[in-house]
Amino acid sequence: MRLDNTVEVETPEQVCFRFRVAGPARRAWAYLIDLAVRAVALLVVEIILLLAGGRHLGSSEAVVSSGTLLFLFVMEWGYFVAFESAWNGTTPGKRVLRLRVVKEGGYPLTFMDSMLRNLLRTADFLPVGYLLGVLVMTWDGRFARLGDRAAGTMVVIEDPVKAAPAISLEPPPSDAELAAFPHRLALPLPEREAIELLLRRRDLSPARRVELAEMLAPTLQRRFGVSSDDPVRFLALVFHLAVGGSGAGHSPPSPTQARP
Amino acid sequence: MNRTQDEFVAQRKPSWDELDGLLAKKSLLYKLPPASISRVAGLYREVCSDLMRARSAGFSAEIIDLLDALSARTSAALYSAPPYRWAGLRELILTGFPVSVRRHARFLLVAVALFVLPALLGFVGALHSRAFAIQVMPESMVAQMEKAYADMGHGRSGTTDSMMASFYVYNNVGIAFRCFATGLLFGLGSVFFLVYNGLLTGVVAGAVTAAGHGKNLFTFMAGHGAFELTAIVISGAAGMVMGYALVDTGPLSRWASLRLKARDLFCMVMGAALMLLIAALIEGFWSPSSVPPMVKWAVAGLLYVLVLSYLAFAGRASSRRPGP
Repeated sequence: MRLDNTVEVETPEQVCFRFRVAGPARRAWAYLIDLAVRAVALLVVEIILLLAGGRHLGSSEAVVSSGTLLFLFVMEWGYFVAFESAWNGTTPGKRVLRLRVVKEGGYPLTFMDSMLRNLLRTADFLPVGYLLGVLVMTWDGRFARLGDRAAGTMVVIEDPVKAAPAISLEPPPSDAELAAFPHRLALPLPEREAIELLLRRRDLSPARRVELAEMLAPTLQRRFGVSSDDPVRFLALVFHLAVGGSGAGHSPPSPTQARP
Repeated sequence: MNRTQDEFVAQRKPSWDELDGLLAKKSLLYKLPPASISRVAGLYREVCSDLMRARSAGFSAEIIDLLDALSARTSAALYSAPPYRWAGLRELILTGFPVSVRRHARFLLVAVALFVLPALLGFVGALHSRAFAIQVMPESMVAQMEKAYADMGHGRSGTTDSMMASFYVYNNVGIAFRCFATGLLFGLGSVFFLVYNGLLTGVVAGAVTAAGHGKNLFTFMAGHGAFELTAIVISGAAGMVMGYALVDTGPLSRWASLRLKARDLFCMVMGAALMLLIAALIEGFWSPSSVPPMVKWAVAGLLYVLVLSYLAFAGRASSRRPGP
């Protein structure tokens, strides 16, 4: 069984995208927010109706109760469908938690999909509090509740991702430093990834960074025959060379740089 | 070709930002000017190849996630249909709804039987024995119903009408939706709601008739019954279609078999909901009005003919194209 929460979708161009699907907890929060939004909306409508109904004495009761009933109906059966259709698979609660409903192929859902998945909330709700829905979700790699399965939809997480900033070596590597390294530096991918992870982590204290680097550095220092008293700088240099950064002895010739 | 990740990002980032900007402009791609659409298509192919390169070069997870999200968003924008068209509503009424009801006529007949037989049972039972009636619903409610229909016949005030119409929308459309949705439990929920609502309707009619106000009740029910009872039965039938699709799957998986029926189900339920909205208006404003019973019966007959011939004949010309 896969414990991953990503789903792979292949497009007609045979490109695979990975989506992160949302689990029950995150979706429950979104649901609670939507519930609160509806409660507040109902309160506002009640106040407006009471104020409006008060002007026509005698009919106020009928105005308030018919307005309330119609609004309750719209909130119960129309809220999710309206938002998901108008906001491309999101509702206020889903926006807060960065969730979006999409088709299993990653496409936007249609009005029909939204209608089906939300009508079938009734079945997911059974016997009480979405128990059946949550149970069914745990059975499925996409965390699809009954409504999602019938409509062929899934709820994905859309955390904003930014390109990682470049790893800079401060100060820039000196020729003397680079000269100590072998001409060709072969570094297996897992090791490179480990070093990159260490260098990119922003939440490490300097002491912890040094501590972790001290565990990685000695092996590599022995392998390359380089000695260094700053393990973090040493690893940064290794990474710089491993990803094809220019070294002292094998940098491309340039007119301003005299070669030894 | 053997670039570092940082060089790769630095070189390609302007394109990614451009694509991101184009997608952010309009939620629907076709609203962009034609030149921009072609540009999006070109950038999409570039980003796809960037993604492949980043994966094979083993770049860091952040950059792969970024490209994943960007290309997935573009793909969705390029290949999606517009999320909703208002023309869909017209098509639903003119063809979609009646055609899908006819396609599942056998389920409709079963649903009618599941509603009508308990209704007859409830009617006969409550007519002959009050003990039977109060087995099905609380005595206070039976008494309330009897009183309500005893007073009927001289109309209600206009404000109560609008309130009752709203109540019928809330209550009846809700019943229809629940009757459909619980059909997902292999049809059992729909069967239960059909039988239960049939029995309840029958008992009310029987108890009120036994109290001597049968004429008031049937005159009241006749007008909206054409829409209301038919719609409840259709939504129950839709629920059973859904449940049966999970049982008789043919060569497909259960959910694939259900999804084949999704369009029909949608048409049936939406059609039933529209019928119930009409029914609520009739039930709120026309049925309790002080129009002479003869006129009400004539109109009721006309509405029945209208509803049944609509379901039987509407959209026949266009229903020959292959269904889903």
